[in-house]
Amino acid sequence: MAQPLLEVHDLHTVFATKNGNVKAVDGVSLELNPGETLGIVGESGSGKSVTALSVMRLQRPGKIVGGSVIYKGRDLTKATEGEMREIRGQDIAMIFQDPMTSLNPVFRTGWQVAEPVRLHHGLDRAKAMAVAVSMLGRVGIPTPETRARDYPHQFSGGMRQRAMIAMGLTTTPKVLIADEPTTALDVTIQAQILDLLRHVNRDFGTATILITHNLGVVAGMCERVMVMYAGRVVESGPTVDVFAHPKHPYTWSLLRSIPRLDAERHEPLKPIDGLPPDLIDLPSGCAFHPRCQFKVERCSRDTPVLNRVGETQLAACWVTQSGVELKGA
Amino acid sequence: MIDPGGITQLDLPGPAIEGEARRPAQSYWNESWERLRANRIGVFCGALILILALIAIAAPVFSQFVTHFDPARQHLSDNFRSPGHPYLLGTDELGRDTLTRLIYGGRVTLGVAFLTVALSLTLGTTVGLVAGYYGGWPDDILMRVVDVFLAIPAIFLFILMSILFRPNAITLAAIIASVGWGGVARLVRGEVLSVKQRDFILATRSIGARDLRLIFRHLLPNVLPVLIVAASLGVGQIILIEAALDFLGLGIQPPTASWGNMLTNAESYFFHSGWLVVFPGVTIFVTVLASNLFGNAVRDAFDPRLKAH
Repeated sequence: MAQPLLEVHDLHTVFATKNGNVKAVDGVSLELNPGETLGIVGESGSGKSVTALSVMRLQRPGKIVGGSVIYKGRDLTKATEGEMREIRGQDIAMIFQDPMTSLNPVFRTGWQVAEPVRLHHGLDRAKAMAVAVSMLGRVGIPTPETRARDYPHQFSGGMRQRAMIAMGLTTTPKVLIADEPTTALDVTIQAQILDLLRHVNRDFGTATILITHNLGVVAGMCERVMVMYAGRVVESGPTVDVFAHPKHPYTWSLLRSIPRLDAERHEPLKPIDGLPPDLIDLPSGCAFHPRCQFKVERCSRDTPVLNRVGETQLAACWVTQSGVELKGA
Repeated sequence: MIDPGGITQLDLPGPAIEGEARRPAQSYWNESWERLRANRIGVFCGALILILALIAIAAPVFSQFVTHFDPARQHLSDNFRSPGHPYLLGTDELGRDTLTRLIYGGRVTLGVAFLTVALSLTLGTTVGLVAGYYGGWPDDILMRVVDVFLAIPAIFLFILMSILFRPNAITLAAIIASVGWGGVARLVRGEVLSVKQRDFILATRSIGARDLRLIFRHLLPNVLPVLIVAASLGVGQIILIEAALDFLGLGIQPPTASWGNMLTNAESYFFHSGWLVVFPGVTIFVTVLASNLFGNAVRDAFDPRLKAH
């Protein structure tokens, strides 16, 4: 295996609040290889977005209190703000959840798409605009010369997300972080945007971190997947294996809670009982144990660590690590 | 190269294909400007202020070719002349031509008003942007300073200042602005707090823009509408404050004419020569009214909440 492009080791990010420190990211590690697509799934508040923002050092007002982010042999958690500015938008680009608010309403779309190349490649207005127009064309915006002169409010949601992707790609970054890029879009547009991201990944060789709570998106897009719960990685591995044989009860429950085409008709979906934990005051031991139907006595006492379970997967679970298969009604 | 197959066809926005007539790109500014132009009262009042300002700027030309008098020149034998010929709006107790003094007074009064607005907007906007964008302790410190300035009783400050410095147009503008910037800072800060929550600020940081670019290139244009509204509504108020200070003798000192201090002298002769009160009074009234109506028109045109989507 080649050297990973991006490595995150034991990252801790906290938000100080009146009621105590919220451990949004609590010891996350990940590796991203060149050209691959890594999925991060988890419910709201599981720390997936904050993990991504912490990689870019955009987690303000949160604070990175531990761990490292290694990119090109450098630890980004210790880089200066100036060095980070060089990396942002040039090496690592990011697209956001809500395309309706991620473009500045007062500037023409082309101007904004051209901004990264102006900042990083020092191109003048005309040259940068030419890059922007060609990139808008490549992401499937019809008549890009005309459209570049439009304001964001004249774009549909799907077109704005295309424009955001175009903006991210103008500098041909090595890593593209897509934070729920399709959540705010309707289903047909979702499919188009995902299709576009697949093309981008293939044609530009951009390694992609795809953050989503949609398991279907992960199944269709990602070679590897990482499941997060309460700021921690609970399971990771090749998407095929994780989906076929989940090794963490949370993943297992999550997969049973979504509808499947091959399920029996009228078979009810099985929601996960209980509520996501309070990130200020996590349950002792495994954060998932209050909601877990496989828990054993040890689960409320010791915090499980991520360990190899099965051939290809890692899971943070005492039960599966002891060899128990996850099965249930 | 990205294969456009299956991507482009689906997202075509109907008939909007190149070559066909397509509504041109309308910026927020264009739309606001269109709305402002459609407001007749607004246009009229804006034009009136513009004309007054142009007359004030061209005051020497007017005194030479239209009124044929110097604003400070006393014609003691012609004092208290009624409006007519050759003194179109009459003369005061020292025989000075009222129209010429009104025109020169406009220079001072409007000059002070615009300068004050410019000063308080510049300072207030900068403070509001910095406080709102950075938050935390810079915000706390700057906003406490604003609170202090807003808590100072303005009239005592004016009296103190006019004793310490003999006010001329520039110092008077600085004095009034020193009270006015706090409100602007609060206004801008509030707007920044709401704008900076939007994703495009994070998106702009994510492409590696530095703070200064973010604040002045991306945030400022988004708070500009409230600034424009504040500026156009502020002019009228400042004219009133300035006139009041001049009237009380705390502002522009005679013999320099201002609309306010023309009233000071005229007060003594109200029953004797009423026009000395009426002309500066009406001028102030009309100017302030026009400023306020123009301000309202600007607010209607620029306020995003009234914007039809």
